[in-house]
Amino acid sequence: MPDRDLDTKVKLAIYEITAETGRVPNSSAVSEKIAVDEREVVAAFGRLHVKRLLLPEPGDPTRIRMAPPFSGIPTPFPVEANGKQYYANCVWDAYGIAAALHCDAFSRASDGRTGEPLTIEIRNGQPVLQPYVAHFAVPAAHWWDDLIFT
Amino acid sequence: MLLFRSEETVNAWCAARNIPRRPLVNLEQLWQLAVHWYANRLTVESRRPAPDEMVSIFASLGLTGPFWDPKKVDG
Repeated sequence: MPDRDLDTKVKLAIYEITAETGRVPNSSAVSEKIAVDEREVVAAFGRLHVKRLLLPEPGDPTRIRMAPPFSGIPTPFPVEANGKQYYANCVWDAYGIAAALHCDAFSRASDGRTGEPLTIEIRNGQPVLQPYVAHFAVPAAHWWDDLIFT
Repeated sequence: MLLFRSEETVNAWCAARNIPRRPLVNLEQLWQLAVHWYANRLTVESRRPAPDEMVSIFASLGLTGPFWDPKKVDG
């Protein structure tokens, strides 16, 4: 295996653990997986944030709030795939989990106004189309200004 | 971004919060966005699309204009 820079190792470990367990790991779990000091892992989290590849938990740099498309906390966008449950950050990311894992998936989402259950599904690599729509409230230039709101 | 059953519920949601109606994306477009963004996310070479790539991806799906330009701060 070619030598990889630390940030790449950390990034791959985050996604491998998440894919395997359904839970986004903290710095301790990543440190254990790749046998790197936890302080170095936390520093890598910060650099991956600068690259817009993850969002640390506000106030706690050892935890990950978002490793897009995965959420580090439960959200209104649970996704079932490969026999596991994940959480997506938004409806785009609900589809994103199916795209990232290259598998079928479905999400019991809900209407943003009424709360009515709205299931979205990827089957055989394609979306099961419904007349639903996603509303993008924030222009693309500002998505990372407040990613939790976006 | 949120999911809605229809344009009508989007309009009601925006009116209730006194925020402007922004662009809507259908599920086929949303799936294509997801594939562009995340299909290689678990690989060594994964990265977020660069701004110019984003513009091209959005345009390929019919999503054009300042709102979809990551370099247009007034989008």
